[in-house]
Amino acid sequence: MASVIGGTGSFFGPWRQNHAWAQGAKPIKLGLTCDASGQYGNSGQDDFRGIKMAIDEINAKGGVLGRQVTFITADTETTPATGSRVAERFITREDCTILIGALHSGVANAITQVASKYGVIYMNTNSSAPSEAGENCSRVKFVWDGNGTNFSKASVKNAVDSIGKNWMLLTNDYVWGHTTSAATRTQVESAGGKILDNLLVPQNTRDFTAYLLKIQQAKPDVVATAVGGDDIKALREQVAQLKLDGKPAWINNQQDWPDVWGAPDSLFGVFGTTWYHKLPLPGVAEFVKKWQAANKDGPIPVPGNVSYNGYMSTRELLRAIERAGSTNNVKIIKELENLKVSATDRMQHFDAYMDPMTHQMQQTIYLARRNAKPADNTDLFEIISWTEPKSAADDAAAGKCKLTPYEQVPTVDS
Amino acid sequence: MFDLLPHLLNGLTLGLLFALIALGFMLIVGLMEQINLAHGSLFALGAYVAMQLTGPRPPLPTELAKPWLALPLGWRYAATLIIAPVIVSLVGMLIELCMRRTYGKDPLYGLLLTFGAAMVIEEMIRLVWGTRDYVLQVPSAINGGFLFGDLIWSTYRFYAAGIAAGVIGLVWLLIEKTSFGATVKAGAHDSEIVRALGINLSRLRLVVFVFGTMLAAIAGIIVAPIWGIRPHMGVDAVIPAFLVIVLGGVGSFWGAVVAGLLVGLCVGLAGAYASEWSLLSMYILLVAVVTFRARGLWGKKSVLEA
Repeated sequence: MASVIGGTGSFFGPWRQNHAWAQGAKPIKLGLTCDASGQYGNSGQDDFRGIKMAIDEINAKGGVLGRQVTFITADTETTPATGSRVAERFITREDCTILIGALHSGVANAITQVASKYGVIYMNTNSSAPSEAGENCSRVKFVWDGNGTNFSKASVKNAVDSIGKNWMLLTNDYVWGHTTSAATRTQVESAGGKILDNLLVPQNTRDFTAYLLKIQQAKPDVVATAVGGDDIKALREQVAQLKLDGKPAWINNQQDWPDVWGAPDSLFGVFGTTWYHKLPLPGVAEFVKKWQAANKDGPIPVPGNVSYNGYMSTRELLRAIERAGSTNNVKIIKELENLKVSATDRMQHFDAYMDPMTHQMQQTIYLARRNAKPADNTDLFEIISWTEPKSAADDAAAGKCKLTPYEQVPTVDS
Repeated sequence: MFDLLPHLLNGLTLGLLFALIALGFMLIVGLMEQINLAHGSLFALGAYVAMQLTGPRPPLPTELAKPWLALPLGWRYAATLIIAPVIVSLVGMLIELCMRRTYGKDPLYGLLLTFGAAMVIEEMIRLVWGTRDYVLQVPSAINGGFLFGDLIWSTYRFYAAGIAAGVIGLVWLLIEKTSFGATVKAGAHDSEIVRALGINLSRLRLVVFVFGTMLAAIAGIIVAPIWGIRPHMGVDAVIPAFLVIVLGGVGSFWGAVVAGLLVGLCVGLAGAYASEWSLLSMYILLVAVVTFRARGLWGKKSVLEA
């Protein structure tokens, strides 16, 4: 009787969904969840350019496992609710078996929830909240950008020692801002520094004068910002106008290239990145040329970190499918968990690897500042340091990340 | 107290900017009883046109572009402050001509039409200028910072507040002290009588809409160096504009000005002392006011209070 009930349960039970698509030589369809509007609309489209380039490259070589790769994309509007709706539609109505793309960690987390429910692999290309590979990690999700903790570890100790111990935090009031600021606070305090205040910046803040007045009144040595998208662009305009770059010193957790390109004159402080188009490394110049050929007359003339992450994540996904010899989701997940990419192949200073416990790409973390002697009008960064993956790793992430066992992941095949 | 003063001053300057953004919106709502949801897009268009005119590649024939670019930035900027709103007003004119079929019908038609116009303008901006951000160059005389009370202040912020106060004053003079203003107000109060007096009401509405559009464009040009220029910047403008006129009372000129200042003070002080509430504070203020006074601070008595 028990076996009958058990058998019936596994057949009708709602707790396990096995979503299998018809087999054959039909194209592998990817769902690109790239923002086209809202706070990260600009970056979302740059992400898309990198992803599309990787897809076009593989198709030009005959596709994956002899099958062409197609995609569908929709604007997730930098809104978690829309991200969730788009993901649901891509999976249930468009038969997408893999999702790619996100900038905003709230949107990424919303997409993760949907992808996890169906067992669909999700490549989080550019959302860098530490929680994405910590408490919000998932067996089906892989995180490709450096996160707030990585950048803090690469920058904070040195800044406490060389600039000063009194710090203020300026934090975008959502998950990425909070988790990134928490990581900075931990690093500052463990280096012997002190946080004077943490000013929370609501999303879509356009006027930072009240914050800047508060900072001037408090006179900190360093201000560490975790402000992103359109908000950091407005902040930069206002800091530049007041000529406040210098005292206090500014450490901006990460500067996405699309945020920088529109207003290079207001680039200030020290900031993190995962890649730069003028890194003096093999393959970089060729990659830039390929990207430019694929994106003629685009709004941005060179690839930045966002496009790079989009490209690398998609390229590695497609390679993983090829290595697995299958489009079965668990087989691909296992390939990605064992991923190791040489420095040369990644166009970075150190070899990179996927952390199998957190699903975050461990890679070289660069610190940069505004380039005072640019070689051309795109040469906006001066790279001042590169930290190897182990030194910048988020040690606490593995303890917070609980990955679902493989056998509990719903089966997906393209 | 000394710590508080800079934040009060900041709140007032911010408030003047909010009032400037709301001014054109208020005129069209108050005098034409039409909610112009394209106000934000026209605001953005003003910033883009100004950026294009003052930038290195103005949309002019070569023989005109050369002497234009030879002018000092200050002159180009001053001329742009007039030329750009005139260019944007042509778009406003087009919208008003389309809106004529909706007059006297359910207000929803006008609302939908301006919503559609907003989307069309934003998409056109994306098509022409792309999704990247731009910066509006301003003359060095109004750029940078100055020391006051041991703090560095933005010169541009005070320039912008001054321009906002000046434009508000000029609009008040036009509405309250000229026969044109009296006709416009009479048209809003009783259009049938105004028409019976032989005044061309269609032309009057067109003039008001075009004037409101020019005010939106001026606000866009003034605010652009603070917010930056990007396709969806209009959304950031239309929401506070709507909030300010509801808070001040629909149709009330001074209501909009005082509400703008109140919102600015609220956002500025919250930004300093309860930073996470800074944007939310304006909505809380609105809820607090309309709960007790549904017509807004200076609005006419509405059916909600009957």
